[in-house]
Amino acid sequence: MQDFLELAVSATASGCVYGLIALAYLLMIRPTGIINFAVGEWAMVAAFGGHLLLSRYEWLYWLGMATVVAFMLLVGWVTERVAVRPLVDKGAALLAPILALLGVLVITREIISVSFPPDPLPVPSAFGFGRLELGPVGGSYQSFFIIAVAALVFAGFWFFFEKTLWGKSFEAVSLNRRAAALMGINLSRVTALSFAGGAGVAGLGGLLVSPNVSAHYLMGVPLAIQGFTALVIGGVGRVEGALLGGLLLAFAEQFTARYAPIPSGYTQGVPLLLLMIFLLFRPTGLLKARA
Amino acid sequence: MTKALFLVLSLFAGAAVAQGTIKIGVITDRVGVSKPYAEPATEGAVFGAAEVNRRGGVLGRKVELLIEDDQSRPDISAALARKLVDQGAVFIMSISLSPATQQQQTVTMEARTPQMTPMNSADYLTTQLNNPYFWQTGPLGSTQGATLLAHARSKNFKRVALITDNSDLGSAIAKAFKGALEKAGIQIVAEEVVARGATTATPQMQKIRAANPEAMFLAGVLTAENVLIFRAYKELGVKFPIHSSYNLSVPIYETVAKGLVNGITFVDAYDPEKPEVKAFEAAYRKATGKEPQNLHGYGYDGIMLITDAIRRAGSTDKEKIREAMQKTNYAGVMGAKGMKYRFPEGKRAGFDPNGMVVRVYEKDRQGRVLHVGQK
Repeated sequence: MQDFLELAVSATASGCVYGLIALAYLLMIRPTGIINFAVGEWAMVAAFGGHLLLSRYEWLYWLGMATVVAFMLLVGWVTERVAVRPLVDKGAALLAPILALLGVLVITREIISVSFPPDPLPVPSAFGFGRLELGPVGGSYQSFFIIAVAALVFAGFWFFFEKTLWGKSFEAVSLNRRAAALMGINLSRVTALSFAGGAGVAGLGGLLVSPNVSAHYLMGVPLAIQGFTALVIGGVGRVEGALLGGLLLAFAEQFTARYAPIPSGYTQGVPLLLLMIFLLFRPTGLLKARA
Repeated sequence: MTKALFLVLSLFAGAAVAQGTIKIGVITDRVGVSKPYAEPATEGAVFGAAEVNRRGGVLGRKVELLIEDDQSRPDISAALARKLVDQGAVFIMSISLSPATQQQQTVTMEARTPQMTPMNSADYLTTQLNNPYFWQTGPLGSTQGATLLAHARSKNFKRVALITDNSDLGSAIAKAFKGALEKAGIQIVAEEVVARGATTATPQMQKIRAANPEAMFLAGVLTAENVLIFRAYKELGVKFPIHSSYNLSVPIYETVAKGLVNGITFVDAYDPEKPEVKAFEAAYRKATGKEPQNLHGYGYDGIMLITDAIRRAGSTDKEKIREAMQKTNYAGVMGAKGMKYRFPEGKRAGFDPNGMVVRVYEKDRQGRVLHVGQK
């Protein structure tokens, strides 16, 4: 039983990270229809930011974290202005900004690759390395920290979309761009904010996971795949779907690795299997968008 | 008109200077998966070439390195080997991934151009292709496994766990470890894989903990995934000893896995007490102002072996260099005390099977040598 609960904490923490990356995708897909695979590289950039501010310059954790997230908001906003808006303004097909963002992915990785040493770099965790026991449930400090921060972020975004006028304007754009524009909603601003928000959330995910996986230039692609799988499982329609998809994916990964009577190497196929099953039988994901 | 004439004259002048150098091609990885290993090895090679030139060069000529980046991709590495041959390289040194090095052999064999790798560990590089122009001087994967096992044998383990990652090299080393362990009659009670890009190794370490092994053998070569394994090991409070592949000889673990590696033993080809190592480290520090590591030694030894062969050949004729290289008898930075690179009986893998050592992490630093060779 102790193993089970211990693993549940670990899987919940991983699921929250996947969920944050899925949320980053969702924030951009909903109002624009653009799938941005560079979210993994944004998470990587934030991890390197964490290394610089928290490890090399030893800033206070909260200050460093806030600075990195603020920087990522700026990165997302600039990306939208440089790689997306010019194409949208010229009436390019939806595929054009998606390809341009793949270019951003490669450029981002190469910049980091040549700017930092090749080895993984350490990023400190919020409360140091240690184990917290809450009754029968035990896990690392960082696992509990990830879960707490992700819960706050998801609650915040849920509130934003469900309870605020600004959030409703995002929903309106995602339902019908032309009608939303006719109602006076500024489409450019919504698009820019969705990219800024996406980069901020992806960056937060990267920063939270980096004390475990270290900051390294190849960390982005796996996170992008895991986040995308979580998004497909949960559905692109609702914020809580991203979290649900992330949790389901992480639990499937880790509980299969621990308990399934198959060789360890084969368990890596489980996420891809889930992805295929959902694409085939429930392409809209578990949670559908509200009508 | 004057400008055009000046340009033409400059080009001819440049060609004359370039003809005066001995060109050695280096195929490295600047952005791909081998970058963490290839970059310091390349720095060691550049330092080695500078040292050779400082001492007057080879055959009275300066050495010039032509460095290319294949990103560890076999599909482009052969084209780069061809480019280097066309540019007049008399020797090619390969320091990216083993499959890329293997692909380059298709060119060097046909172009009869000497090629060597100072650090690739795949056993197949000198056995799959009968290429008399290719040599491998890094320790083989099988040598690593045998050396680690020789050290572990003294502990009389009966039940051990094996963990690796899903990289090609990690899988290959795990296979070599498994073969060696089974041959020694040691039972493998758990065999786990941590996938590249995983965010935790808790499930794998729980399984290993449940199997209750006396020790764990680590064959993984991906630093980030190895750190995950150490975190899970520490977090779950398990106590069995860890014996690791040469990957832990990369000093980055001293910082990225601070507080997690103490007591772990690992295979290495570097003995800090060896006189050649002390001289190399002092010269490297003086010349670059940076701290050298074992990976620099691979590239340095590679250049020294190549220039030694050219010197003994007395010419830049590739056939003469090939003959001289095959007769190599050279003590370098890498390897245990007294080890010499040799290619006996026509073999082309030159690292002495008894030339590896087992070291231990102490106070977050790579510490003393505990064991030498396979006996």
